[in-house]
Amino acid sequence: MVRSRGSDSLSYLIEAVVLLLMATGTVFVFSAGANVKTTYDFRHFYAFTTLRNIVLFPLAVLVMYLVARMDYRRLGFLRSGASKSWTPYLLALAISLLVLTLFIGQGIGPERQFARRWLRIPLGSANISFQPSELAKWAVIFFLAAFMVYKSDSMKSLFRGFLPACAVIGVVVLLIITQDFGTAAFIGLVAFLLLTMGGIRWWHLLGPVLAVIPLGFILWITAPNFLLTETRLHRIEGYLARFWPDLYPDVTAAAQNYQADQSLVAISTGGIWGTGLGKGILKYGHLPEDTSDFIFAIICEEMGFVGGVFVILLFVVFVVLGFAVVVRCRDRLGKLLAGGIVTAIGLQAAINIGVVTVVLPTKGIPLPFISAGGTSMLVTAAAVGVLLNVARNCEDETTLVAQPCEETPIVPRGTCLSFRGVRA
Amino acid sequence: MKKTQPSIILILLFLVLLFGLLGWRLFHLQYCQAQNARLHSHDQLHAVVPVSPQRGAIMDCRGRILADVQEKYILFADRNSFPGPDMLKEAAWQLQPILDIPSHEICAAIYGGLTPGYIKLKEGITTDQRDEIQACNLHGIGIQTDWERIYPCGALTSHVVGYVGYLEDKREGVAGLELKYNSLLEGREGKEVYVVDSRRRPIGMALDDSRDVHNGAGLVLTIDATIQQFVRQALLKQMQKYQAESAVGIVMDPRSGEILALVSLPDFAPSEYSSYVEDKKLPLKNRALCDPYEPGSIFKPIAVAIALDAGSIRSNDVFYCENGYFTQYKIGEFLNHPYGNLSVKQILAKSSNVGMAKIGLKIGQKRLYDGVRLFGFGEKTGIDLPGEDAGVVWPTNVWDKYTVTRIPFGHALTVTTIQIIRAYCIIANDGHPVIPHLVKAMIDEKGQVFPVPPDPGFVAQVIKQETAKWLRETALVEVIKNGTGDQAKIAGIQTWGKTGTANIARPREQGGGYDEKNYIASFVGGAPAEKPELVVLVSIRKPNRSLGIGYSGGRVAAPVFREIMENTLKYMHGGQLPEKAVASKAADMPDS
Repeated sequence: MVRSRGSDSLSYLIEAVVLLLMATGTVFVFSAGANVKTTYDFRHFYAFTTLRNIVLFPLAVLVMYLVARMDYRRLGFLRSGASKSWTPYLLALAISLLVLTLFIGQGIGPERQFARRWLRIPLGSANISFQPSELAKWAVIFFLAAFMVYKSDSMKSLFRGFLPACAVIGVVVLLIITQDFGTAAFIGLVAFLLLTMGGIRWWHLLGPVLAVIPLGFILWITAPNFLLTETRLHRIEGYLARFWPDLYPDVTAAAQNYQADQSLVAISTGGIWGTGLGKGILKYGHLPEDTSDFIFAIICEEMGFVGGVFVILLFVVFVVLGFAVVVRCRDRLGKLLAGGIVTAIGLQAAINIGVVTVVLPTKGIPLPFISAGGTSMLVTAAAVGVLLNVARNCEDETTLVAQPCEETPIVPRGTCLSFRGVRA
Repeated sequence: MKKTQPSIILILLFLVLLFGLLGWRLFHLQYCQAQNARLHSHDQLHAVVPVSPQRGAIMDCRGRILADVQEKYILFADRNSFPGPDMLKEAAWQLQPILDIPSHEICAAIYGGLTPGYIKLKEGITTDQRDEIQACNLHGIGIQTDWERIYPCGALTSHVVGYVGYLEDKREGVAGLELKYNSLLEGREGKEVYVVDSRRRPIGMALDDSRDVHNGAGLVLTIDATIQQFVRQALLKQMQKYQAESAVGIVMDPRSGEILALVSLPDFAPSEYSSYVEDKKLPLKNRALCDPYEPGSIFKPIAVAIALDAGSIRSNDVFYCENGYFTQYKIGEFLNHPYGNLSVKQILAKSSNVGMAKIGLKIGQKRLYDGVRLFGFGEKTGIDLPGEDAGVVWPTNVWDKYTVTRIPFGHALTVTTIQIIRAYCIIANDGHPVIPHLVKAMIDEKGQVFPVPPDPGFVAQVIKQETAKWLRETALVEVIKNGTGDQAKIAGIQTWGKTGTANIARPREQGGGYDEKNYIASFVGGAPAEKPELVVLVSIRKPNRSLGIGYSGGRVAAPVFREIMENTLKYMHGGQLPEKAVASKAADMPDS
């Protein structure tokens, strides 16, 4: 296996950063979940987030390496036509699961009453919950990357390039938006960033933006509870009250602010050096979502500013390395895939940390690699696997040659080099 | 693609910038605002349990307990711990048979409490009740241990020890030594700080914030409960016999200033002090310190001491005491006795007002004023009890021509009984002043004893040794032998002292002047004459004159003095009077 040294070390570095992040996550999910008073009943092993995450960590690493061994070009439409690509199936699976979730899904945590986000698969004593929107996020990104490569000539056209892509994004976003506004908005944002990378005309983006405003207005008039549920309204009010307390005098004490307040308490309790690993107090019920969406607050409490900045720096390194892959990659599909994956993970991390530090209103978006949550962890690991594969193959000359050729057979990675001499 | 698209670089920069801003936000939260936020969240994350210290015990000089503490259990509820009314009802149902309080009243108490969290349900539950409630293991119901002040001797030492009351919800000494030494006795409250979870269940103790409790120090007094009992018994008996209004009795060691007994009647039971607040007889008032009055004849020896010491008169001078009335200065004798010529000794023995007035004229205003001040009148003695009155000695510039003749027989100034006994201690102590005090030693919480060093006072000589000796051994002995104080005579030991039958000044709104029906009968003196061991003061206010059994100091107060002195001396010397004791010891001893 001959690979150029540059891309090799890039993929190793990305691996190292991701493993570090996952390890940090496992440690802190354990710390946040491990209470002095907890007694473990191992018959319900899987019910303990803390213990489940310890199993998830090696599983996620395994998934990451397995996916990294599969050629990312299988995600593209070019070589074998769309029917042989994995992406359409992935997208179809995601959409059907989303539809299913709309009917039999369940809410978890604070959204229990009104949101259907999870599919619960009973497997004996192990009750596996699955969040289709996580899968849909990656399906949309993969699809867009593949689609933009497939239609690379017509991407500048509104009707042949931009609108079909928007239609797919729109379907997925609309399926999620009623149950999980945050994730839907996030998917939309990442999709549009990816579209700009794909070379669409920027003013095309104005269309959907202009369309969303009257649409939202009509929705608000006709069915105010459809999007703007009471909880959501309170959250936004609570957020705004932080900046303009005079406008919302009675909101500050509202329970909706509780998460955000507790998050601030946790972070400020940590100080510069933190209370020490496992010595935090907020995990004793004060911060309800301590292992999932607000895990970063626990890290800041126990490891202080130093620990928090360490995690942020890891994400910065990850993003920079990821974009290095994007820049180096000669293959358009690889470029777009890597760009989409890195942007999605980086932006998600930034939004999550923004929520935890109460710069943004509370949204149920987990911190990639770190928050407890099986679907998110495994699916993100798979996406990183794709990124690693792109990194390893990005300077492959085959890809360079193969680009305009639609008849190129699927070339498994590793064997493709032997073809090089033949075709050259 | 040869050239990287600018949008890719823009997105990268955008992401890095976002992370940079988040890092700055983190720094702001964890460094700049951390202190502030921690203060706000401290109460949410911690529970503070105050640990009340044990108040120090107060003992007499032989270790008998005068004030102590006893454990007391308080049942309380934490309203925040009840998530719903069902749990509350359940708890109330379980408490009902134990406390014998209807459950709806318990519910009402918990819901109707004014404070948001802690609600006191019942104070002083028994040990059995405590155990039963603890066995129920109710969430949100707790039992707090507190200390209750008890006074085993009851009223006996009430005016010395004082009592403990509540000042703005905080238990503090309110009177007596409890007030004076409050900071020593109360100790320092400790606190146990627990880190708690969101349902306020403790997780662990925050040792940095917690503070150990320090129990209060104990006090060992100079008071002897037995002597105190002698004094109180004798005074009570006499008060009843003469239907008197109030009485004061003090026993003091003149050499050290230690007060062996201090009784002010009427007195009170310290644990029920609140029931006396409205009492017209003012039992809460310590008359030994807070009741300045015109002392009358018991002041005469002081004036004589000043005159002798200043050289204004000599001990063998003779004064013409008129025929019962000194017209020039409008002074009458007690019962208008015409005394004629009297020596200084006889003036004291007969208690001649005219004679004293003439001595006063000999001393002169300035020297009289200075002498009175030097004996400590007009200022506090410094006794370690609160609320002491200084009495009034007017400065000479407001004196009229009569004042210099009135002060020598104890008018035109006010004194407290503690000032009088201190002045007599100076005479008993060969001219050296002492500071009357009540505390002999402190015992800290570890049991270590810190003796309060006998205050040297101001090392001073108020009057010459010869003056003091002559007064004691000649003049004041003469009062007992051939004067008004014959009732104070004790067979076997030489007592000395002076009687006093003081007029009570009428308040100005009742026309001023003196109340002609009511007197204060006093006797103050010591024993033995050569080297006094004790000085005893007895003062009985308003003995009922209409009973026809006397009202003068010699009739009312002197017998009480004798009883106290005799009992105390015998008690201190193994049942015998000291001079006999010396004699019998000498007899027991073989010839050496």
